[in-house]
Amino acid sequence: MLKSLLSAFLVFAAALLVVGFTLSSSTGQRADFRFTNATEPKTLDPQLATGEPEHRILSAVFEGLARLEGRSLEPVPGVAESWDISGDGKTYTFHLRPNARWSDGHPVTAHDFTYSWRRLQEPSLGSEYAYIMHMVRYAQAYNTHEAQAAALQGAIQTALNELLAKYPGPIPAAEVRAFSSKQNLDAVLKGTPNELLRNFLLRPPGDLPHAVLSALPAQFELEGKRRQALYEEAKRHFGIDGGVYAKDEHTLVVELSAPTPYFLELTTFYPLFPVPRRAIEKSAGRNWFLPDRIVSNGPFRLSQWRVGDHIRLERSASYWGKNEVGLRSVDILPIENATTALNLYLTGEVDWMPEQTVPQDLAPDLRKRPDFFTGPAFIAYYYRINCTRKPFDDVRVRKALNLAIDREQITRDVLRLGQQPAKYVVPPGIHGYKQPESGIRFDVEQAQRLLSEAGFPGGRGFPKFGILYNTAESHKKVAEVVADQLRRNLHVDVAAYNQEWQSYQQSARALDYDLARAGWIGDYEDPNTFLDMWLTNGGNNQTGWGSVIYDRLLAAAADVEQFVAQPEFVLEHAHDAPALQHLAEAARGSADATQRLKHMSELRMALLAEAERILVADQFPIMPMYVYVTSDMVKPDVKGFYTELIGSDGTKRPNLRNIHPLRDLSIERASNESGAR
Amino acid sequence: MSEIAVLLFGIVLLGATAWCPPRATRVLGAMLFALTFGAVLRFVLGVPTALACGVLGGFLTYRYFPLLVLRRVLFLVPALVLLIYATTLLMYRAPGNPFANERATTPQVEAALRAQYGVPKSASAFFGIYMRRLLVEGTLGPSIKVQGRTVEELIGPAFPVSVALGSLSLLISVTLGLGLGIVAGLRRNSAVDHLSMLLALLGVSLPNFVLGSAAMIVFSLWFRWLPVAGWGSLRHVVMPAFALALPNAAIIARLSRSGMIDVLQQDYIRTARAKGLPESWVVIRHALRGTLMPVVSFLGPAAAATMTGSFVVEVLFAVPGMGQWFVKGAINRDYSVVLGTAVAYFGLVILFNLIVDLAYAWLDPRLRSTGAHD
Repeated sequence: MLKSLLSAFLVFAAALLVVGFTLSSSTGQRADFRFTNATEPKTLDPQLATGEPEHRILSAVFEGLARLEGRSLEPVPGVAESWDISGDGKTYTFHLRPNARWSDGHPVTAHDFTYSWRRLQEPSLGSEYAYIMHMVRYAQAYNTHEAQAAALQGAIQTALNELLAKYPGPIPAAEVRAFSSKQNLDAVLKGTPNELLRNFLLRPPGDLPHAVLSALPAQFELEGKRRQALYEEAKRHFGIDGGVYAKDEHTLVVELSAPTPYFLELTTFYPLFPVPRRAIEKSAGRNWFLPDRIVSNGPFRLSQWRVGDHIRLERSASYWGKNEVGLRSVDILPIENATTALNLYLTGEVDWMPEQTVPQDLAPDLRKRPDFFTGPAFIAYYYRINCTRKPFDDVRVRKALNLAIDREQITRDVLRLGQQPAKYVVPPGIHGYKQPESGIRFDVEQAQRLLSEAGFPGGRGFPKFGILYNTAESHKKVAEVVADQLRRNLHVDVAAYNQEWQSYQQSARALDYDLARAGWIGDYEDPNTFLDMWLTNGGNNQTGWGSVIYDRLLAAAADVEQFVAQPEFVLEHAHDAPALQHLAEAARGSADATQRLKHMSELRMALLAEAERILVADQFPIMPMYVYVTSDMVKPDVKGFYTELIGSDGTKRPNLRNIHPLRDLSIERASNESGAR
Repeated sequence: MSEIAVLLFGIVLLGATAWCPPRATRVLGAMLFALTFGAVLRFVLGVPTALACGVLGGFLTYRYFPLLVLRRVLFLVPALVLLIYATTLLMYRAPGNPFANERATTPQVEAALRAQYGVPKSASAFFGIYMRRLLVEGTLGPSIKVQGRTVEELIGPAFPVSVALGSLSLLISVTLGLGLGIVAGLRRNSAVDHLSMLLALLGVSLPNFVLGSAAMIVFSLWFRWLPVAGWGSLRHVVMPAFALALPNAAIIARLSRSGMIDVLQQDYIRTARAKGLPESWVVIRHALRGTLMPVVSFLGPAAAATMTGSFVVEVLFAVPGMGQWFVKGAINRDYSVVLGTAVAYFGLVILFNLIVDLAYAWLDPRLRSTGAHD
């Protein structure tokens, strides 16, 4: 009896000990500022990160050449204290400040940037954001040409020879398309000067004669050799004396292949942050960014990182602007459950709850609170249409689907957080971008008429189809409402179904769907980030739709100089050719370099609008649904938090990307109590 | 196809260990024990010492351990290997892979990533790499989604958290459950009995996140007695522990109630009462043991399940336990994490089943087996 009591007591004591042990490693004092971050960051290596949760932390722990200032979100001096831009907009000279330091005391030099940017382009690193810097001379060649050369001289030729052997006569168009798509030829051959290869890329639809295709292997070989040579050249120069190079310890020169208006803003984006060479080489593995070994140059340093628990940042004593940093310490909690995050905010345990998907049923009540802010976000919600499947390959069907949806009803009654119905592919709000006319609106009669014209009067004969979405309660609600609207308005048979994230992605990539829900976050404030997805055979296209003129318009926007020199093809097929021509002539004719750049910029925006027009008024490969809203709940004693931005020229615009640099925040606690309001 | 053949062969082999004659069991069991013991010690003591310890351990086991234990060892070591193999096959069959992403990666990038993380396209090749990493390098592998960390760095800190939460919750459920159940069993068909069983029904029907959310509203938002979520003090443990405990308590209440009713009808209870012993003595000294048997058999797997963390409760209360790694590993197709959590769960299940068997023997002397007979 005594023995069993004793053993029970021992078990109890042991349990308490275990509990006590795990709790003993608890946090100390509460940090100045705490906020919830949707998930655990996957990495804090600036050149390998890809998500918004990582972005917030990286921008606090590292600093690039320029940084985004909180009030205006415009690039202001960061590591570089000033910069000069050449007249043609292609050469940037950055003057680094002498007191920029790493957290281990070493100065930040131009060589750190050349090392980091070369590392970003290193093919073996496999960075997903390498492409973002491809306007820098040699960058694209260094990053992609070696692999492309190997493919052109190897796998692509083998595949083509197999195809040629299989079809001694003319080769069917479908086979050619499949070959081109599988070998990713549009990407591999992009920008080639080879006449025969360019003609192949711009080939007319239809079967190809054998002779045309059999001339290609030799061209592939030539192109492969050319690319290999370009890669070798880039390897010799990139980061050393070309593209980006250090003129001296504190002067960095960047050469672009074409003027890029958003380049300064790009230097504030984390893939272009400097990384500490010594720390990376010392750790060999990929964990140089862990708290015990990280070396960083930003306003904060990483002091603790307990996975699943919290991340703590502390103001960095080696930061050049440390007197301007208002917060001493920051705690970041990776809370995934929206309700838990809300509860933490309401009980004062966190000061800021960004962008969490607010429980939809609470949305109307939360919107009334003074500490709840929403604004348009730079994120689009849309449905892809599988343009390779009948009857969705008919433009009239796609347009009918677009016209039969009452987006207003969805945003007003289902989402209820102030989202805006979308009739464009690019979310509104980009400075300097004028959206084209859109053919998307709610018009049931027109939709029914189009469906009849396509051969399905009153919806009769239209095959049963499905709407695919990735498993989430909010997507389910939207999909069911959309299905219901289509049934009522077009009398078609449609059902919504869901798949878990990875399966859903696979289905989308394999074109195994009819309609599929999708979302896209813009990476930088420019329409291109939403438009370059829809290039023919683009990796993120996944609809099977493509258009030669669309591709050419985007290519023209990427290199406006080239377009101005050779505008014929585009002007021939553009909708509003006279306007483009006018702008091109204005650009060609201006003598002043600043004026010329301004006209080029306008022309570029006009070309992008022209491309968007194809999507929303002509071809309808997707169904834009609504534009997301940013939602934040933030305590009133947090200062420096701006949901409306004021630019340096006084213009106001919404904080679309919901960026609130931690460097510019501070807390003014009126009293010591932390209560909910 | 051949992979399935290997799997089936492994299962057959595993089953065959049950028919192994005692002598062979002893020999093989001791050998396997020596190997495992040495392999584990290798990372602490270095190869030669570990080898010596392994041989010594094997010899001692052969001479002195009861046959029950050796039979266990003979079964469990191959079972673990088979578990890893089967899990690997299943993971590879699931659609998607660890490197799939929203932004399409080029084949070159994917090939580079595969080489770096040691995730080839074939399941058997991955199995080989994993076993070699486990036995030779002593690591559970790198996590693919959480960069720069190995699986043991992720699960390591999470394991004691889940165990702590689990133990406290088990303690609560045993106390509550036994208390309710014994009282209900003693006063059968009374008001107390019906009330207890109603509570038990509620506890087992309401999902633990409903109970947890209700507790959060009442104790954190209304009364402000306890923090909403997080981990770091005893006050943080209370609500999640209760949310986890109540369903188990309900089941234990029912089991102990029926166990008590059964036992009270036994002859030896009648004898004890006839001897004139006080009722409390009868219950505690005699009836309790019989009542505890069904509870103990339930507790074995329940303990393992509770200690590996409940994903729902952990996400609700933002507890950094192991439950999240089960789900995240699967959703992200993070192969090493999935295998690591599977192995941890396996270890816990074995441990608790062993404890259950020993507890049985202690509770019911008739079940005590002595090694000498076999």
